[in-house]
Amino acid sequence: MSDVHPEAHERRILGTELAWAFGVGVFTAAVLGTIVFTALTMSINPPSNVERIDPKVLHLSGEFAEQNLGTTVAADGSVTVRAIATQFMFVPACIAVPANRLVTLRFSSPDVIHGLLITGTNVNTMVVPGFVAQVHTEFTRGGDLLMPCHEYCGFGHSEMWATVQVLPNDEFKPGPDGRISCAQR
Amino acid sequence: MSQREPRSEPHVLDQPWRVWATIAVMGTVLTGILLGALIIPIVQGRGAGLDAFTAICRALGLIPGSPAQPQPTDRTPPTPVSQVVWTPDVLQILARADVERGRAKVQEVCVACHGESGVSSSPDYPHLAGQSGAAIYKQLFDYRTGSRTHPLMTGIAQALDEPVIADVAAYYAGQPQRNPNPVTLADAPAGIVQLVELGDPKRNIPPCAACHRRGAGGPIETPVLAEQQAEYIARQLRLYASGERRNDVYARMRTIASKLTPGEIDALAAYYRAGFR
Amino acid sequence: MRNAERLCLAHFWVAFAAFLFAAMLGTWQMWVRSPLGAHIGTPGQYFMSVTAHGVSMAYVLTTFFIMGFGYFVAVTSLDRPLPGKPWAWAAFWLGLLGVVLAVVAILSGRASVLFTFYPPLTGSAWFYIGLVLVVVASWVWCVLMIVAMAGWKRDNPGRPVPLAMFGTVANALMWLWTTIGLAVELLFQVIPAALGLVQTVDVGLARTLFSWTLHGIVYFWLIPAYIAFYTMAPRAAGGRLYSDTMGRLTFILFLIYSLPVGLHHLLMDPQHGNATKFVQAVLTAFVSVPTLLTIFTITASFEIAGRLRGGRGVFGWIAALPWQRPMVLATGLAFVMLGLGGFGGIVNMGYGMNAMVHNTAWVTAHFHLIFGGSVGIMYFAIAYEIWPRLTGREHGSLAPLRLQLWMWFWGMLIMTLPWHWVGLQGQWRRVANFNYADPIIAGWGPWVLVSLGGGIILLLSALLFVRNLFILHRGPALVAARPLYALAVDPPQRVPAALNGFGLWNVLLLAIIVLVYGFPIAQFLIEPSPGAIVHRVQ
Repeated sequence: MSDVHPEAHERRILGTELAWAFGVGVFTAAVLGTIVFTALTMSINPPSNVERIDPKVLHLSGEFAEQNLGTTVAADGSVTVRAIATQFMFVPACIAVPANRLVTLRFSSPDVIHGLLITGTNVNTMVVPGFVAQVHTEFTRGGDLLMPCHEYCGFGHSEMWATVQVLPNDEFKPGPDGRISCAQR
Repeated sequence: MSQREPRSEPHVLDQPWRVWATIAVMGTVLTGILLGALIIPIVQGRGAGLDAFTAICRALGLIPGSPAQPQPTDRTPPTPVSQVVWTPDVLQILARADVERGRAKVQEVCVACHGESGVSSSPDYPHLAGQSGAAIYKQLFDYRTGSRTHPLMTGIAQALDEPVIADVAAYYAGQPQRNPNPVTLADAPAGIVQLVELGDPKRNIPPCAACHRRGAGGPIETPVLAEQQAEYIARQLRLYASGERRNDVYARMRTIASKLTPGEIDALAAYYRAGFR
Repeated sequence: MRNAERLCLAHFWVAFAAFLFAAMLGTWQMWVRSPLGAHIGTPGQYFMSVTAHGVSMAYVLTTFFIMGFGYFVAVTSLDRPLPGKPWAWAAFWLGLLGVVLAVVAILSGRASVLFTFYPPLTGSAWFYIGLVLVVVASWVWCVLMIVAMAGWKRDNPGRPVPLAMFGTVANALMWLWTTIGLAVELLFQVIPAALGLVQTVDVGLARTLFSWTLHGIVYFWLIPAYIAFYTMAPRAAGGRLYSDTMGRLTFILFLIYSLPVGLHHLLMDPQHGNATKFVQAVLTAFVSVPTLLTIFTITASFEIAGRLRGGRGVFGWIAALPWQRPMVLATGLAFVMLGLGGFGGIVNMGYGMNAMVHNTAWVTAHFHLIFGGSVGIMYFAIAYEIWPRLTGREHGSLAPLRLQLWMWFWGMLIMTLPWHWVGLQGQWRRVANFNYADPIIAGWGPWVLVSLGGGIILLLSALLFVRNLFILHRGPALVAARPLYALAVDPPQRVPAALNGFGLWNVLLLAIIVLVYGFPIAQFLIEPSPGAIVHRVQ
C-alpha cells in the first residue's frame, strides 16, 4: 500500500464501490422493471379505489344495507360481491363466487378498521371506515376458502372470519334478481 | 501528483455534489410520478376501455375505481333495519339530555312496568337501572319507527319524541345497579365462562365480553347485560335466533344467537342475571 | 468519559428493563395463541400484552437505547463534553415519566389499542400523553446531537466530522422529520378524541399520518446498528473501514429515502390511489440501496482485517477473523439475518407480492427478524462493547456473551422462519385464539409450536443478556480500554460539505416530502373523509 499514492488508492477503492453500486443499481432496476412490466401488461395493481362513504349511515344506504349484501350478477353478467366488516363478523358470513370469472368485491365498515384476506388468492385489503375497499380478482381454485379479518378490531377479532365458496360454472346459478347465496352443504 | 484544492475554497468540491444529488434524487421521484400517475394508468385504461383523463383521475384517487377495470354501479333503494345513526349530533342530544325531565316522564309512563329506579316489576319487563343510555335510546327509537315491535312498547314509544327519549334514557342510565344475590364465579358453569370470555372459534362466536363488557370498545348501542332479568335475556336471544327480532344492525345478534344451543341461552341468561360483568 | 457515564447508563437500564419485560410478555403471547394455550388468557389480557410488548420494544427500548448511545458517541467520537447536560437529564426524566404514564394506562386495561393505535379505537388519554412525552424527550436529544456536532465543526473548521457522529446526527435529523406524522396524529386527532373533545376521527388521515412515521422509525432503530457496522465492527475485527465516503453516503441515503416511503404500509388501504402506491414502491426499492452498499463495504473491511491476520485464499480470511470478539460475531450473525429479512422486505414492497402477505404472520416474522434479529443483536454488541467504558470494569470471560448472541441468533431463526411459512399460507395477525379444529389452521399448529420454542430460547437469551451486563458492574477493573472507532483505509483529509453536513439533504428531503406526501395528505384536507365514531377501549 505504501508505494501507491493515497489519492489513487482512494480512487481505486471508490472504483470498486462504484462497480458494486452499479450491480446494486441493476438489481434495483430489475425489481422496479418487473413491477412496471406487470403493471403495463397484466394490469397488476394494488387494491385502490378511493371512494368515500359515511360509516355512520352505512346501514341506511342502499348499496350496503343488510338486504343488499352478498353476491349479485348484473344484467351485463358482471359479478359484484358486497360485504360488511363489523365488530365482530363479516356480513354475509358465507359468500358465493364463481370460478374463473372476474369478480369485483366491495367492502366497507360501519365502525372500526378491519382487514381481510382470502386464503390462496390475491385478495387482501384493509377495510377502513369512511371508504369503500374494492378488489378485482378471479378465483382460479375451487372449494371453500377462509376469509379472516386480519386487522385488530377489538377483543372479538380472533373469532371474526367468513367463508368464500368458489362454485364451478354449473353450480353458480343466481336467482331472477341476480342474487346468489352459498350452497347449503 | 495532483493538486489538492485549498481548504479555503470548499465550494469547488461542493458544487458537483449539489447538482448531481439534486438531479439523482429529483429524477427518481419525478420518474416514479411520471410512470405511476401518467404512463401506467393511460396504458391500463386503454385495456379497460377508459379514456386517459378518467384513468389518470382514478389512479390519483380523485374519482372511485381502478384505471384497469370497469367500475360497478348500484341503484338499490335504501331498506335499513334500524333508523338510528350514531352521529356526533345524536351523541350531543344524549349528552345534553335532561335527567329531571326524564324522571318526570318515567313517573308518568314507564314506572308501572320498569319501576322508578329501573328495577322492573315482572320478569317479562327488562330492568333498566344502569343500562347504557345509547342502548335505551336506540330501542325506544326503533320501537317508534317500527324497526322493533312490541304490543305495549310500540304505542308508548310513538308518543315520545326524540329529546324525551334521550331524557328517559339518560335518567335510567344514571340509576345505580343494585347488588344481586351473591353467586360466586365458581358456581358459574365453566363452559359458559369460556363462552363469555373466549367465545367459540369453532362456531365463529366472539366472546360476549368483547362487546358487552364496559369499556370493550364494541358497538355504541351495546346494552349492559349484568343483572338483567334472566327470562328477558333468554327470550331476546330466542327472538334473535328465529329472526323475529331484527333491529340489530347487520344481524350481529341474530347471527350469534342462531348458533347458540338452548342450554347455552338459558345458562348465559342465568350468568348475567347473577351479576357477572 | 467526561461524566456522561451515568447519563448513558440511566438510559440503557430503562431500555433494557423494558426489553426484558417485553420479552416475557412476548413469550406468554406465543404460548397463548399456540395449540397448548387454547383456553389460557382472555382476549382482554392478550391484547393488553400485545400493546405492552409493542410499546416497550418499539418505543421504550429503542428510544432510550438510541438516546444513551447517541450521548456516548457524542462524547467519545468528538472527544468533548456533552453540551447541555442538564437538558439531557431533564429529557431523561421527562421520558421516564412518559413511560410510566403509558405503562400504567396499559396495565390497567385502559389502552388496549396496540402500539400502532387503531383509531377510532381509542384508549385513555394518559396513554397517548405518556408517549408524547417520550417523543418530546427524544426531540431534546436530537437538538443536543445537532448542537454537539455544530460545536465540534466550529472548533474544527474544514475537518470531516467523525463518521460515528455524522451517522448519529443523520439519525437525529431523520427522527425529527419522521415524528412529525405521529405527533400531528396524536395531538390533533387521537388525544382530542381520547379526551372527548371530538366524537369522530378521520381514519384515512390518521392512518396516513401514522404511516409517515412508520418507516422512518424503523430506520431510526436501524441506524445505530449501522453506526456500529461502520465504526466499531472493523476496529473490533482488527481492520480498517474500507471506505469512509460510502459510510457517509449510506447515512445520507437512509436520511432521504427512509422518510418518504411510509405510505408503503398502506399499499392495501383504500384511501390512496394507484399512483401514490406506485411511487412508494419505487422509492422503497431505493431504500434497499444503502443496505446493499453497506454489505459490500463492511465485508470488504472484514476482509482487510482477516488478511491482516494472515488469512489466505479467496475465503481464508473469514476463518482468520477474531470471531471470539462479541462485536465481530454479532456483525456476522446480523448480516445473515439482514440477508433473510431484507429479502422479505423486497417481497413486501412489490405490491403484487405484498397482497399475498399483508397482515399475515409473514409481516410479524419480517420485522421480528430484521429488527429483533439484526438490529437487536447489534444493540447487544454495542452494549457489550461500551459497557466497560461506562462502568470502568472489564468483562471477565467473553464466553457468556458469545453464548447469549448465539442463542439470540438461533432463537430468532427458529421463531421467525416458521412464521414466514405459515404467513405465506395465510395465517393472519393479532389473534388471541386460533380455531385449531379447522383443518387448514390445524396444519399450522406444529409450526406455531416450533416458533414458541424459538421464543423461549430468545427469552433465555434476553435474561442472559441482562445478567451479563449486570455482573459487569462487579467485574474486574478496566485496565486499558481498546480503541473504539475504526480508521478508514484512507482517512479523509477533507470532505465536501455535502458529506459533512446536512444542509443540502434537508432541502432535498423537504422537496421529496412535498412531492410524495403532499397530495396524499392534502386530499384529506380538501375533501375530509367521513368521520368514524370513536370506540372507547377503557
